[in-house]
Amino acid sequence: MTALLRYQTALLVRSQRWLPPFLLYAVFLGIGLQGGQPLLDSLGYAAAFLLPVAAWLVRNCVANEPPAARAVVAAAAGPARAHLASVLVALSSASALGTITTVIVALISDPVSSDHQKRVPVPEAVGAGLLAVLTCALLGVAVGALTAWPVLRSTGRAVPALLLAALLALVVSGSPAHAAASGLVGGSHTATVHTPVLPLAAAALLSAAAIAAACALTSRRSP
Amino acid sequence: MLRNVHLELAPGSLTRIDGPNGSGKSTLLRLLAGIDAPTEGTVTGRPRTAYVPERFPAALPFTALGYLTHLGTVHGLPRASAERAADAWLDRFGAAAYARTPMTRLSKGSSQKVAVAQALFAEPELLVLDEAWTGLDTQARAELERAVAERTAAGSAVVFVDHDPRRLAGVADTVYTVRDGGLHRRTGEEPTVAPDGPRMIIEVHGATAALPAEVLRRAVVAEETAERTHRLTVRASHSDLLLRALLTARPPWHVAGVRPDESRDAIPDESRDTSSVSRDVSRDEGHG
Repeated sequence: MTALLRYQTALLVRSQRWLPPFLLYAVFLGIGLQGGQPLLDSLGYAAAFLLPVAAWLVRNCVANEPPAARAVVAAAAGPARAHLASVLVALSSASALGTITTVIVALISDPVSSDHQKRVPVPEAVGAGLLAVLTCALLGVAVGALTAWPVLRSTGRAVPALLLAALLALVVSGSPAHAAASGLVGGSHTATVHTPVLPLAAAALLSAAAIAAACALTSRRSP
Repeated sequence: MLRNVHLELAPGSLTRIDGPNGSGKSTLLRLLAGIDAPTEGTVTGRPRTAYVPERFPAALPFTALGYLTHLGTVHGLPRASAERAADAWLDRFGAAAYARTPMTRLSKGSSQKVAVAQALFAEPELLVLDEAWTGLDTQARAELERAVAERTAAGSAVVFVDHDPRRLAGVADTVYTVRDGGLHRRTGEEPTVAPDGPRMIIEVHGATAALPAEVLRRAVVAEETAERTHRLTVRASHSDLLLRALLTARPPWHVAGVRPDESRDAIPDESRDTSSVSRDVSRDEGHG
C-alpha cells in the first residue's frame, strides 16, 4: 500500500493536476477572507470551501492514469487497492491544504467574537477549525468518490452531479459539513467554540462507506 | 460476452488464447489478470500477477526508469532493487538509452518495451500478455519470447494472445479458441502451425552418458552421435535455458558447438515431452 500511495502521490504532484483545485481554493479564500476578521467566522468559511475542492481533487486523482496504465497497476495490486490509494492521496492532500489554511487563518484573523466585543480562546478555536477542515475534507472526498469513475463514467453527468452534491453537502441541515462550519460561525456571535466531534465522526463514517462502495465497483466497470 | 468458461492455469504452463477480433479475448485476459470481475461465476486463486496491455499509452508524468521503479515497488520489490532491475530489463529490451527519457516522448515501440519490462521484472507467478509483441522491434520480440520461456521454466503460468500464429508456435502447452461467446480447447485435429520457428543445434559431451532431465524436456530432438556425445536440437527461444541447464548440471557438460539449424523441415516433433505440465491448479475460472 505504501508503494501505491507513493506512486499515486508522485502522479498527482508531477501531473500538476493538483494546481487547479488549489488555485480555486486560494481564490475562494482571497475573496472571502481578510486580515483582522473574527477568527471563528474565517475558520468556518475556510472549512466549508474545502469541501468542493476535496471532491475535485478526488476526481483528478482517480483519472490521473490512462486506462491501460490503471489496468497494469490493478493487475499487480488489485483494482480495489489501486483505487483506494488514489482516493487516499486526494484525502491527504485536501487535509494538508486545509491544515495549512487553518494555521494561516489563525495568524491573520482577530481572535474576537463577530461583534468584536469578546475574546475567543485561540488554541480551542484552532483545534475546532482543524476538526471542521477534516470533516469537510472527508465529506468532499465522499462526494468526489461517488461522482467519479467507476461510479459515474461520463463527464457530462459526473461534473454536474459533483457540483450539486457538494452544494447539498454544505447547505442541507443535518450534513456533517454544514454542522461543523455553521457551528464555528454561529459560535462566533457569543465567542463560544463548538468543537465538531460528532460531525467529524459522521463524516468519517460516510466517507468510509462511499470509498468502500467506489472501490468495490472498480472491477465491475470497464474503463 | 463470454459464457461457460472453465479454465485452469497450472504453474509453469504456457497457454495461448486465439479467436477473431472482438470475440472477447481481451475480456478473458482482464478477468484472468484480476482487473475485472466476472458478472457470474468466480475466479479463484490470487497469484502475484503482471499484465501487459495491448497498447500502452505513454501519457504518464515519469521517465521510463522512474515509472518502472514505482511499478517495481508496487509489485513488492524494495526500492533499490526495483531501480536496478528496471535498468537491467530496459537494457535487455534495447531501451537503456531511453531510461531517463520522459514517457511522453517515447515512441510507441519504446513505451511497449516499458510495458513489457514492467510485467517481467517483478518475476510474477502469473503473466498475462495481451498482444504484448505488437509494436516491438525484431530483437525485442525474440527477447520477449526468451523471457516467456524463462518465466515458465521458473514455474510461472503464462497466458497470451497474439495475432501472429507463429508466435511461440509449438511451445504453448494448451491453445484455446474464443468463439461464439465460449472458450474451446483446441484439440489435435486442428493442427497448430508447425513449429517452424528458428532452431539451434547444440553439441555436447560429458562425463556421464545420461543427459539431465531438464535438457531432455527442452530439446526437440536429442540424439547420441558418439559415446557420451549428444546432438541436441532446440527452439532458439529455449536455447539459453538449455545451455544454462547443461552448464549448471553436476558434473557439467562440455558444450562443443552451437549453430543455427538449417534443415529443420525434416525434424519430427515427437520427442517433445509434455508430461511435465500437469501440476497443481493455481487458479480456475468458474462457469459463467
